[in-house]
Amino acid sequence: MNEFEAEIEATIARWHGITAPNEPARRMAADLVNTIRAFEALRGTLAFEDEPSSFEAALLEAKE
Amino acid sequence: MADLADLSMVEAAEAVRSGEATSLELLDACWANMERLNPTLNATIWLDREGAEASARAADRAVREKAWLGPLHGVPMVHKDMYYQAGRLSTCGSALRRDFRPAITATVIERLAAAGAYTFGGLNMAEFAQNPTGHNRAFGDCHNPWNPPYITGGSSSASGVSVAARFNYMAFGSDTGGSIRLPAAACGVTGIKPTQTRVSRYGVMPLSFSADNVGPLARTARDCARVMTLIAGRDPRDPSSSHEPVPDYEAALDGDVRGLRIGMPATWFLDEVDEPVLKALEHAVAVLASRGATVHQIALPMMDAVTTYGSIISRVEAATIHAQWMRERAGEYGIHISGRMYGGYAIPATYYVEALSRRGPVLKQFAKEVFSQVDVLITPTIRTCLPTLEETDIDHGPPGTEVRFMTVSANTRPFNYLGLPAVSVNCGFDPNGLPIGLQIAARPFAEARVLKVADAYQRDTDFHLRRPPMLDSADARGVIVA
Repeated sequence: MNEFEAEIEATIARWHGITAPNEPARRMAADLVNTIRAFEALRGTLAFEDEPSSFEAALLEAKE
Repeated sequence: MADLADLSMVEAAEAVRSGEATSLELLDACWANMERLNPTLNATIWLDREGAEASARAADRAVREKAWLGPLHGVPMVHKDMYYQAGRLSTCGSALRRDFRPAITATVIERLAAAGAYTFGGLNMAEFAQNPTGHNRAFGDCHNPWNPPYITGGSSSASGVSVAARFNYMAFGSDTGGSIRLPAAACGVTGIKPTQTRVSRYGVMPLSFSADNVGPLARTARDCARVMTLIAGRDPRDPSSSHEPVPDYEAALDGDVRGLRIGMPATWFLDEVDEPVLKALEHAVAVLASRGATVHQIALPMMDAVTTYGSIISRVEAATIHAQWMRERAGEYGIHISGRMYGGYAIPATYYVEALSRRGPVLKQFAKEVFSQVDVLITPTIRTCLPTLEETDIDHGPPGTEVRFMTVSANTRPFNYLGLPAVSVNCGFDPNGLPIGLQIAARPFAEARVLKVADAYQRDTDFHLRRPPMLDSADARGVIVA
């Protein structure tokens, strides 16, 4: 287990009281490194006023 | 009359209404296929034959007495086993809910009952609606009626199987990342994921409150249109449901696609597409073009944002609602189910809120750029020829199996983040005899348009009418070797 994977497991155990249930769980958690990279690539796109409730409004605005 | 189980849902309803067939005869026809093929397909979790017969006899009595008949009068149905009916079993496909009997009934079940349909069982599904393949550790894997070693698509696995195998005229599925469209594609039937908020989710097992959708799988686009007209619309018991007026989707099916602008994505949806899938897609587009639609290559904006943000929301929400069971009873989940949820606990709240907060702006920009150029997007529902259950079995397969597993839903997940309506119809078969799905998506609340295009396509093709070979074979095991 590398440092990142150990960190992830420790974080989940500390914050949620949940341990890795199996090996595929460890593998898929390790893939979070790609999630971090993908979020890094999107940095700067979130606007200060953006908020979750804008989605329902966007659905109506984007309809014909 | 032809085999009653071979009728579409609309035809079955008309047969009962006109007196050409009784509801009991419909039930018997479906039941006969179920008895013969279900040992191979493993599509049902529970059945109530006695209750079904009582409902059928009541429906037939109403016809004889010339009572008011709803648009689905006397049509028997079985749904994914996560649509609650007060006091009846609803396992959600999991050992953790093996004996669960909810106290409430789903709004959509009530609406179909008001239209005259009756429900008599629960269909196999991915555990807690959490895989795109149809694997299920608690109740056994569901098998594809076109070639049983292959995946059925999930999570509404047996919703697709039961309609394809003529057990069922229509089944509800749920779609959080493709779970209606994938089994529709893999089993060769028609399924629609409505716009987010279009259909009430009250009384339906939750997976991801931001991305869950309720919708039908049936033989034809017309069947789906009739069901959508009945179930769409505001439900005070689901505060997230939309107030938007509901059109008569069936009335809009006129086959006229002249001038319709079809967008063929130049990127993303066709990345690493298999040749038979691409050929089927091109043929389908040519069919629509022959009806007067125009075809345009289109570059889709913001796909990195759509896929990155979309991957976060359902993982975090599923992990959150399952946290207590994951603490106390993780061993009772299938390995791939608990395995996928586990990483969700390490995703920071700031990522989750960012993904939700960007959803509206991303949708607006996507819609502005795409739907100013085209009216619908057409893509393969699944990019590749279908894999086998074994090739996608994370629980027993080698490391890396999860990559093949996740590829199955690559083309459906983006429309969940965007909240757009999308339908899947059968547009051909791969070399293993398995169906290929055509996905048609459009603007928010444009269900009428995607159903109209699907219906127009089905007027000129017969893929949706074809029967899995096992239905006509003396050998109900039905394995095809390519």
